[in-house]
Amino acid sequence: MSNASELFPQRRATRLPGGYMGQLLRVDLTTGSMRDENLPEEPLLKKFIGGQSLASYILLRELPLDAKPYGPENKVVMMTGPITGTGFTPGGTKVTAVYLSPLTNHTLGRGAASGFWAVYLKAAGYDGIIIEGAAQKPTYLFINEGRAELRDASRVWGKGATETEDLLRQEVGLKDAKVMCIGPAGENLVHAAMLCNDYNHNAAHSGGAVFGSKKLKAIVVHGTARPPLYDRERLIEAGLRWRNTLMVRHEAEKRTAGHAVDLGAAPNFNFRSTVIEESHIEGFDKNRVTLRPCFQCQRLCPWDVELKAGKHSGTVGHFNAGSEWLDTFYNLGVRGNDALYLAQRINDLGIECSHFSCGVGVAFEAWEKGLLDAEKTGGLKFEWGNVEVVDRLLDMAARREGYWGNLLAEGPVEVAAAIGGDAPKWVVHTKKGTPALHDWRPHFGQMIREIVASGGMKPQGGGSVNPPPDLKYREKWGPLDRDDPAGWSWSNALSEQYRQFCGVIGGCWFAQMHMKPDGIKSIVDSFNATTGWSFDIDQALEAGHRSAMLQSIFGTQRGWIAEHDWQDVGPRFLEPLPDGKHKGFTIAKWLPDMVYEYHRLMGRHEKTGRPFMDTLSRLGLEEFKEWAQLD
Amino acid sequence: MSEKYGSLIPTGKLLDGKPRTILFDATKCIGCRQCVHACKDWNDHPRTTIYELSSTNWITMEPPVLEGLSPLWARNSCMHCEYPMCAAVCPVEAITKYEEGPVVINQDVCIGCEYCIYACPWGVISKNDITHKATKCTMCSDRLSDNKQPFCVQACPVEALDFGLQEEMTAKAKKRAEEVNGYLYGDKEASGTQLIYVLKEKKESYGLRSVGPEKYPKHRIPLGLMLKDLFTLRCGLPGKLRALYLAIIHPGRLIYRYWPWRSVA
Ligand code: SF4
Ligand code: SF4
Ligand code: SF4
Ligand code: SF4
Repeated sequence: MSNASELFPQRRATRLPGGYMGQLLRVDLTTGSMRDENLPEEPLLKKFIGGQSLASYILLRELPLDAKPYGPENKVVMMTGPITGTGFTPGGTKVTAVYLSPLTNHTLGRGAASGFWAVYLKAAGYDGIIIEGAAQKPTYLFINEGRAELRDASRVWGKGATETEDLLRQEVGLKDAKVMCIGPAGENLVHAAMLCNDYNHNAAHSGGAVFGSKKLKAIVVHGTARPPLYDRERLIEAGLRWRNTLMVRHEAEKRTAGHAVDLGAAPNFNFRSTVIEESHIEGFDKNRVTLRPCFQCQRLCPWDVELKAGKHSGTVGHFNAGSEWLDTFYNLGVRGNDALYLAQRINDLGIECSHFSCGVGVAFEAWEKGLLDAEKTGGLKFEWGNVEVVDRLLDMAARREGYWGNLLAEGPVEVAAAIGGDAPKWVVHTKKGTPALHDWRPHFGQMIREIVASGGMKPQGGGSVNPPPDLKYREKWGPLDRDDPAGWSWSNALSEQYRQFCGVIGGCWFAQMHMKPDGIKSIVDSFNATTGWSFDIDQALEAGHRSAMLQSIFGTQRGWIAEHDWQDVGPRFLEPLPDGKHKGFTIAKWLPDMVYEYHRLMGRHEKTGRPFMDTLSRLGLEEFKEWAQLD
Repeated sequence: MSEKYGSLIPTGKLLDGKPRTILFDATKCIGCRQCVHACKDWNDHPRTTIYELSSTNWITMEPPVLEGLSPLWARNSCMHCEYPMCAAVCPVEAITKYEEGPVVINQDVCIGCEYCIYACPWGVISKNDITHKATKCTMCSDRLSDNKQPFCVQACPVEALDFGLQEEMTAKAKKRAEEVNGYLYGDKEASGTQLIYVLKEKKESYGLRSVGPEKYPKHRIPLGLMLKDLFTLRCGLPGKLRALYLAIIHPGRLIYRYWPWRSVA
């Protein structure tokens, strides 16, 4: 492998495409040194673009094979994309961070955030950041107008995410500075700790823990710059088309049980019932709800709530659209406004909610079944719906306090193993990570996506019953049958590609309305107008495919094989649905075939997960040929 | 136009001469500041800052707290007065009132005397530190001449901003105010503006200024500033000559500039 200076030219020999600021900041926390790196030359940029793809490529080039997740040699590469922060498109908000995941110790960890932070990183003059080494004491990075400095973070160490944001904004004296930080969970190396930004946003899947291991509390960004645009007028036109495809979310939606309603199932009592009842949303109708959209995005995902009923009346919560933090507490038997209260707590502490819920879920079930008693729980009653106990466990987990705090911080698999008996059969996990907490089990597309995910990292994909209208020119299939696995592996693989593309260019895939006419085309056109390239849809899908391939190559290098995808899954996740509309359904009947099929369709060997040589050549990734499947 | 303004202020036409109004419905506004960033995007202004009006930030949403964190939000930008005092005091006639509504400062003509900054009852004009010219919201006159709505209006994700013919917007605002049992703002202030607000509470709750109903509201340009402009080289010789010439051909305007305590019909 070649060295870094080859990747980042001293002086650019090729054009810098539109949309890019042109520079990355490299920060070595061990020595405190920092330097600017020019973005790669145009051909390479065109291949990897930005976001997860370019970030993973940099990581693949720079991360030693024997790196440990919490060792100073682990790196965090954070990348925006060319459409981030132009202001002329919806969803131009994404930053993606990649690193070696402490959840699995061998796969790519990835966290992605929307909101404002990414836009202001570009305003500060940078497309991305490479974080190396580890600081001796709590530190934060402050980047203002192209000037970066490391500062002492001891004042905010130990504080929750919201307060950290406020304090650091005050400290730098800039009202419109934007903050990405970790809560106590990240500081204490809770494996599933998140990065938190702009009040309402979290990048899950361990980035927070890696920050914590480097004693990096936060990155504060501010600036006045804006990305240069190749064809502003065309971008405005394409951005408007994109906007017109958006299905706008409404306030009323924020008073429902969220995504569980769409999925037709809520996880209850550690995934043992799927029924959604009135009590799930108790008090929601009385709350004050305020929409709080991301930068120039009209999809209106994020929202704030002020609880107006229940014991925690007066609590203010900041959420994004996902609603996995609701299902997180539904799964523990908590209902209504109590669930919202706890959701705000977990976000502020910075713990990935599903990881917590799947762990506590097993422990509560063990209590119910008599495997645990007060003696073993330190007097805490592990009863379903016990808000005080859940609240207490949150604090304990975030600070690795006591036996249970420590165990929960490790993860659900460890919790089950420690309880022993049948408990390991009750776990939901994928390769020790946890799926975004919803009950995905009734759906082929969603399940295959979760199972092949890079170890608890929320994958992109999920598939659709019919091909997206914009892909009808090449995709001649559908409608797929919800009870028949045929076609779902490809549908998922395809959606992974267009969603990856959206993220790679710096866009938010929640703003990609793939099932609307122009839902993909308008995004590709926005990207072309911004950069000056002229991708067609096939090339866009290929860019997404390439990003997904880099992700699996990273795992291959460190011992992941495709067989792990269906073998290393928590049994509860594969159990037939206990009740409800889809009672009895499980994807397990079609495993491992669906996983094999998915990998074959992506151009990998079905068992090893290694890419075939012709896949690598097609994607221009020949340099990774030593990791290819040769027979 | 001419019977309304005489030779008091420069007037012009961008499109069809039909007056337009921006409607700001505070009952719908969520304080997201997409309008603020949109204005910056359209006018290619620096990304920050967004909390204060400046020569590169022509609109703020008040109060100056993070997006979404206040229960009430008010737009703070040029009101596009029907009787714009800023235009009346400009010694070089750099400010034009267009029939469609926009009050626009011509950057090529402005000499940076700052009179308009003091004369504006809403205090929404800022001086650019580099060009030394006065700047403010143009009601997107450059878009209006292409028959496109202001960029901030287009951006608003919850339709708290609207734009259209003045009578339609006024009717809509009145209806809406009745529906929510609220208040109007901007319709009577300074004898009418081409912004109209629908408020759910009294204007004081939003921190909105009280501006009387008279046309060309009184103002106070500091005497020192006027003396400096008359007797020093500030604003350049060509600017002074132009001001002198215009004072001679339009003497009726001087009263607005130098006798702000006057009472004129
Ligand atoms: S789609 Fe939703 S999460 Fe994504 S940028 Fe838009 S508002 Fe934010
Ligand atoms: S609000 Fe001020 S700047 Fe705008 S038209 Fe009225 S007087 Fe002029
Ligand atoms: S009308 Fe145009 S210039 Fe005025 S605030 Fe809106 S976007 Fe800015
Ligand atoms: S864009 Fe609309 S909702 Fe947002 S602050 Fe402006 S007027 Fe209010």
